[in-house]
Amino acid sequence: MENLGALAVLLAFCLAVFAMAASIVGGWRRNSFLVESGRRAVYSIWLLLTVASGVLVTGLLTGDFRFAYVAANSNRAMPMLYKFAAWWGGQEGSLLLWSWLLACYAAVVMFTNRRKHRGIMPWVTAALMAPQCFFLILNAFVASPFRMLAVGRGITSVADGRGLNPLLQYPAMAIHPPMLYLGYVGFAAPFAFAMGSLITRQPGDDWIHTTRRWTLVTWLFQTSGIVLGAGWAYAVLGWGGYWNWDPVENASFLPWVTATAFLHSVMMQEKKGMMKVWNMVLVSATFFLCIFGTFLTRSGIVSSVHAFAQSSIGWWFLGFLAIMIAGAVWLILSRLDYLKSEARLESVVSRESSFMFNNLILLAAAFAILWGTLFPVISEAVTGDKITVGPPFFNRINIPIGLFLLFLTGVGPLFAWRRTSLESLRRNFQWPLAGGVALVGGLVAAGMRHPYALVSFGLCLFVAWTILVEFSKGARAIHLKTGQNLARAAVELTQRNTRRYGGYIVHLGIVLMFVGFTGSAFNQNTTVEAKVGDSLSLGHYQMRVSEIRDAENDNYTWYTAKLEVSRDGQALGAMTPERRMYKASRQGTSEVAIRRRPNEDLYLNFAGMSDDNQRAVIQAFVFPLVSWIWIGFWVVAAGTLICLVPNKVRFQYARMPAVRVTGKYAATAQK
Amino acid sequence: MLRRLRSSVILLAAATLLLGQGATPLENPRVRRLGDQLVCLCGCGSSVTQCNMLHCEFSEPARQKLLTMVNAGMTDSEILAAFVKEYGQRILMKPPAEGFNLLGWLMPFIALAAGLALVWWLIRRFRAPLAVAGPAPDAALLARIEKETDELDS
Repeated sequence: MENLGALAVLLAFCLAVFAMAASIVGGWRRNSFLVESGRRAVYSIWLLLTVASGVLVTGLLTGDFRFAYVAANSNRAMPMLYKFAAWWGGQEGSLLLWSWLLACYAAVVMFTNRRKHRGIMPWVTAALMAPQCFFLILNAFVASPFRMLAVGRGITSVADGRGLNPLLQYPAMAIHPPMLYLGYVGFAAPFAFAMGSLITRQPGDDWIHTTRRWTLVTWLFQTSGIVLGAGWAYAVLGWGGYWNWDPVENASFLPWVTATAFLHSVMMQEKKGMMKVWNMVLVSATFFLCIFGTFLTRSGIVSSVHAFAQSSIGWWFLGFLAIMIAGAVWLILSRLDYLKSEARLESVVSRESSFMFNNLILLAAAFAILWGTLFPVISEAVTGDKITVGPPFFNRINIPIGLFLLFLTGVGPLFAWRRTSLESLRRNFQWPLAGGVALVGGLVAAGMRHPYALVSFGLCLFVAWTILVEFSKGARAIHLKTGQNLARAAVELTQRNTRRYGGYIVHLGIVLMFVGFTGSAFNQNTTVEAKVGDSLSLGHYQMRVSEIRDAENDNYTWYTAKLEVSRDGQALGAMTPERRMYKASRQGTSEVAIRRRPNEDLYLNFAGMSDDNQRAVIQAFVFPLVSWIWIGFWVVAAGTLICLVPNKVRFQYARMPAVRVTGKYAATAQK
Repeated sequence: MLRRLRSSVILLAAATLLLGQGATPLENPRVRRLGDQLVCLCGCGSSVTQCNMLHCEFSEPARQKLLTMVNAGMTDSEILAAFVKEYGQRILMKPPAEGFNLLGWLMPFIALAAGLALVWWLIRRFRAPLAVAGPAPDAALLARIEKETDELDS
């Protein structure tokens, strides 16, 4: 069994080297036999890695504790779901997941493009196989998941494993890593197409059109992965934080930032043929940051709560990154002439320049986060002193940047291409601006003094207003023309230009998330030691401890406290925060009790028992508006999915009998 | 010398006072606020206030120490300085903006300024009209074109 897994990985590595070499030689010599064999090798790699992953997962599910990986990351008492999730709970398994996902993506790319892009496909295959080779080296020779426990030459096993890290035994956390990986790995495809088009000096922007949906889907996976991680931290770590600027959180956020910049700046290339070099830089940077993120997580270079598994594979990553970056830089520099801009900028107040500012601000944020993450390493290398760069640093720099970005979200889409007249600026912005200013005035009058919160709320209203005006303007036009009611007209409007209006919906989701972030300026908390019958109060809430219990099962022991909660004297029922102690890993976790409401969450954490073991230490938090982060995420996801739907109008024209399109043209119109 | 003696007397008195109490240090808002400026060194990556590990070997004694210092009447900066002296700079959530660490604070802004300059340069460059191929027309040629078009009009 274990030999089958190891053999499959080894064969997959050989095939990946072959696929890369055959594609390069085949592409260069125009030998279609080699190109085709390289393409088919990709399918075989997928099959082999599926077998290898199957072997590992079978070992995890059946509790085959001869595998060192199974013994370290699983145990008998764990529920099935987490036994499966242990696939990505440790270093070796998660690197195998990387390889397998990359093989899946590569196989899909090969299949969907089997009759298209003949010129660049060999190079796309080669560019996909380069990271595949690298990860297979890790899987086969550096961090093999198929190492067995052995005494001397005889394979042995342990009675029970150490179990998955208990902090990871949580549903959102079970799917958070694969989501992030789907996002990370997915960027290999746009990167491969970009490199393919660079190598072949392909004219036009084909690679952008081909990879637009890829980019959006992987962006959505990254967003989901990040938000799942935030939701997990909120519900599990026990202090209600959803973002701590931890190095590994930053690592997952960095490619998202550059990917967002890329999604915006490709529009400049599609519409105007500008910023071609920049798009190449962005797509490469995003892919490298994806690899870099895996490197940060897996090498433990910056010590972090998330670096659950640490080892010396850092050098392999650095070597691979250095080679890939050098290759990409050389390719871009040697083909600058082909990347020349086709248009000129006519005015500073235009959509073009708003995209440039959007990119500048996103990149500045990415740089600040990268810099803050690596500065402790740099500082230690220079001064010899270890320092910490914690959340206060990142917040101080990124809050103003974030607010400016929010502002651009509002104004950018309303700037016209080429140039915007003062008159149209006034027409588009006067009411939203007045609304935002009025809201800030109202909040100040109501006693709010937090400057960033005021600016943020004002901007949120301003941006949401501009977006809603865009929808209502378009919907009214359709309503006048077709007589549909306004809601139906708004749906029709969205269907006619899914990219544009889907994009607005994404922006609206981001605004809602900002509302949620801003709520954190008004968090409240208290900590008390309480025995049965004691009361505590926080904000409008009063809580009375009515019961403290303890019990155990195979996996963990637990304490719970039951608190009767009321708000301004009105009873709201009981909440029961819990404290668990996992037996196998001897690690404690919190099962917090959260009362989620749109205006605020009441969040109770059982922090432990007092020294005399008589009283429960209860931490109570009030988090205003935090639910809007999760609601905003669903809006972002919905908007992104809408962007993926093709425009309705094209289909309609193709189907309209009056147009009388004949065979060949009808077929192209349907595409 | 006298000052040090005085502060140790205060500390000792406060410690004796505290022996009778089993209060959770986190009940004290100043401890919570100061604890948020200190990193928990148990490896959890959160602050001393926020570390949630059961019987954490670092954050629990640190909170106790904070409470002792707070009750002894030490100022915030004295307390933070005492922690830095014991554990080094890395105990602080954010590096002080001095010496080499100043670079850490300034670099993002330097990058932003450089980026702005770059965008400005790009906008200026993009705004320049597309270069016209061939030599610039000389004055004589322009005069002839003028004359011939005038003739056309008349």
